[in-house]
Amino acid sequence: MSSRDEILAVAGLNAAYGESKVLFDVSVDVSRNQVVACVGRNGAGKSTLLKTIAGFLKPTSGTITSDGENLVAKPAFAIAGMGIKYIPQDKKVFSDLTVRENLELGSYASQDYDWVPVFDYFPKLKILMDRKAGYLSGGERQMLMIGRAILGRPKMLLVDEPTEGLAPSIVMHLRDVFKELAKKTALVIVEQNLPLVCAIADKIYAMREGRIVAELKERASIKPEMCEQYL
Amino acid sequence: MNTQLLISGIIFGLSLGGIFFLMSIGLSLCFGLMRIISLDQLLYYSVGAYLTYTIGLLVGDVWLGVIGGVVVAAIVSLLVERVVFRRIYERDLPFTMITSFGVLVGGVGVIKYFWGLIPRPVPVPIAAQVDIIGTDIPVYRLVIIGVAVLVYLSIWLFLNRTIIGKAIRAGTEDCEHVEGLGINVYRLFTITFIIAGGLSGLAGGLYAPLIMVDPQMGLEVLAFIFMVVIIGGLGSIKGTLISSLLVGQVVSLGSLIYAPLAQMAPFAVMLLILLVKPTGLFGSALQKR
Amino acid sequence: MNILRWWWGLLLAFALVAIGRAFLPLPFANEVLIFSIYTMGCNYLLGRVGFISFGQPAYLATGAYGAGFYLFYFGNNPYLGLLMGIAAGIVVSLIIGPLFVRLRGDYFALVNLALAVIIFYLMQKVLADITHGDNGLWYLTSLTSTPILDLTRPDQFFIFAFLVAFALWAFYKYLDDSIFGALCLATKINEDKVKFLGYSSFGIRLFAFVIANTTTAFAGAMYAVYLGFVSPAITGAERAADPVVVTILGGVGTLYGPLVGSVVYTGMKDVLSKIIGNWELVIGFLLVFIMLAGEKGIWGSLAPLLQKLFTRDGKAPDRGGSR
Repeated sequence: MSSRDEILAVAGLNAAYGESKVLFDVSVDVSRNQVVACVGRNGAGKSTLLKTIAGFLKPTSGTITSDGENLVAKPAFAIAGMGIKYIPQDKKVFSDLTVRENLELGSYASQDYDWVPVFDYFPKLKILMDRKAGYLSGGERQMLMIGRAILGRPKMLLVDEPTEGLAPSIVMHLRDVFKELAKKTALVIVEQNLPLVCAIADKIYAMREGRIVAELKERASIKPEMCEQYL
Repeated sequence: MNTQLLISGIIFGLSLGGIFFLMSIGLSLCFGLMRIISLDQLLYYSVGAYLTYTIGLLVGDVWLGVIGGVVVAAIVSLLVERVVFRRIYERDLPFTMITSFGVLVGGVGVIKYFWGLIPRPVPVPIAAQVDIIGTDIPVYRLVIIGVAVLVYLSIWLFLNRTIIGKAIRAGTEDCEHVEGLGINVYRLFTITFIIAGGLSGLAGGLYAPLIMVDPQMGLEVLAFIFMVVIIGGLGSIKGTLISSLLVGQVVSLGSLIYAPLAQMAPFAVMLLILLVKPTGLFGSALQKR
Repeated sequence: MNILRWWWGLLLAFALVAIGRAFLPLPFANEVLIFSIYTMGCNYLLGRVGFISFGQPAYLATGAYGAGFYLFYFGNNPYLGLLMGIAAGIVVSLIIGPLFVRLRGDYFALVNLALAVIIFYLMQKVLADITHGDNGLWYLTSLTSTPILDLTRPDQFFIFAFLVAFALWAFYKYLDDSIFGALCLATKINEDKVKFLGYSSFGIRLFAFVIANTTTAFAGAMYAVYLGFVSPAITGAERAADPVVVTILGGVGTLYGPLVGSVVYTGMKDVLSKIIGNWELVIGFLLVFIMLAGEKGIWGSLAPLLQKLFTRDGKAPDRGGSR
């Protein structure tokens, strides 16, 4: 893999919440426009990995680089400014603000006021523009979160369990959205939904107890049964 | 109690409420966004008052003194934010509370050093009185009420019509998400802190002609501001407005009935409200930053 | 042998205090002892329960006025005065506790401070008829000598205070090492988990609240007896900083923090107030400095170092509870 293709390189990452260690010597790499999935049981450290890359948790040791820049020293908003956007799993949007205002904040940060791509992916948001985000359903919130995040044409999205708790029809919609997004944006997705993950991922990392225990790189080997053994 | 007394009591209470509001807004905003209890706001209150006194004395115009007080208070709060708070935002509440208390006490010491212990009088810029329903009301009190209303409207506009204001409102819900969008939340903190400091300075400057300016003035209002903030609920602008008005009236009308009790009545009200709603009238549940 | 290990820290600390008495002036020693008892309550609340209280002067005043009222209006016996002060502390804590303890940490802090101001106002103005307002109640001359230890004599008072402090420290150490101590700490760290285990976090907090504030009231009563008078100044808002500063200075949550902090604080106050009139400046900046530097305080930073020293020497390490 040439270094020009590489968009994220994590090496020897160790992280902890206070005294309790969560990540042990984690190394991953992501190429431009690649879809990388991260699977594993609850508590395996997948969310922590994303959080650390996004800058919300400072690692105790290890390196994170993207396009030649060292991410470890940067505050989270600067990392987002670099085009690496983090979408947490809590399905939270700014409830007191309208959908429009939520998007405005995303535009303000990225200076990208072109909402056409957002409505292309999520036409429903156009109808909900003036509704307070607190009244949105789970699926609508997820759409808003992703819509907000793609403003500014990020080079990579770190998505944490996007389909958790959502209805199957919405899950399918998201799968198509991710497939489209992957043409221009690298995706690192943490997911429990194995069929979805295997349908879109180019590479899969399996995690257990804070470590990477497997890396599936061949498209052929990316099947739900292969992943299950690591759960 | 005759109508004249009642009317002047109500106006007095409104102006008192206005001062309380100006101070409590700062505390409430700082808590809502940054989850800190900024006790040092009382320092900026004193700074505002003292600068009003000094500049007013030097220049001969109290209004210029008030403006100067606001500016200096804002500058001091900026310095404190940079030097102290910036390093401790992630720490928990008791920690930041104690630190802000340290700033307050230390700052009072600095004031004592420069201005000494003797209370300083500040002349009332407008001595005129106006007749309202047969009662003589000092115009200055009405001015204070007017300023408080203006500030409330401005804050409302700021928070609801400007993008930075919306970002701050978003930040009171979840700061991490705001940062995740790429917005520099630390700059939001600084802006909020300076606004709070400036408003506290304004409160001090406006109130200075009505009371004696002395080093302990911040500590004297401390309890009332706390009660206002607790009753209204930390983090709620609307709550702060309502509770400032409420406490202002309770103190004012209460003192007409039985003077010493006036100081204690807000406390009783606060306890009653806390019994029913432990987070105040409009207070929100505490979420981790 | 186990018993000795449990006590050795306490014995050592108080032996040091006793030795110190030989070098330090009596008023200083008495002041330090009472003040450290006062701080102990605040220390426990903050360090073990996680509650910060800017209103400790309220409970100090409760105990002081409790003793003061008795000694001025009813009797002459200092011991009874102390008991009255303690009783007042228990009563007030039990009445106020259930309401205050339910509150979130930040509201708790604010509400306690409001309480302190209210009590100040009560004593200064509202009940001025019986409290004589700012003039205070004076009964120094009417105190009677007491058997065994004459509390009216400063040197004997010192012995009394010393014994009381020692007993209190042993009590708190016991509390800390007991299940209750573990529960307090657990409630501070993660209240929900404690509830899941079946304990009432409210009950734990309430109990700790009453103990800590009764200790504070006791200190107030001791002040009342030692000084021979009581006045509202004891509960002024300016004094709200004192226990907090000393707690932080000594080291939050440590057993000997209050002792160390009191010695340093009182000492500094004595020395510095002769040099600089402006004491607040120093307290304020000191507090900020300590917080920024790591909030561990003097004993909090020393204790781990000392522990390391002892274990390296091959001596048995201190039990986890005593610090």
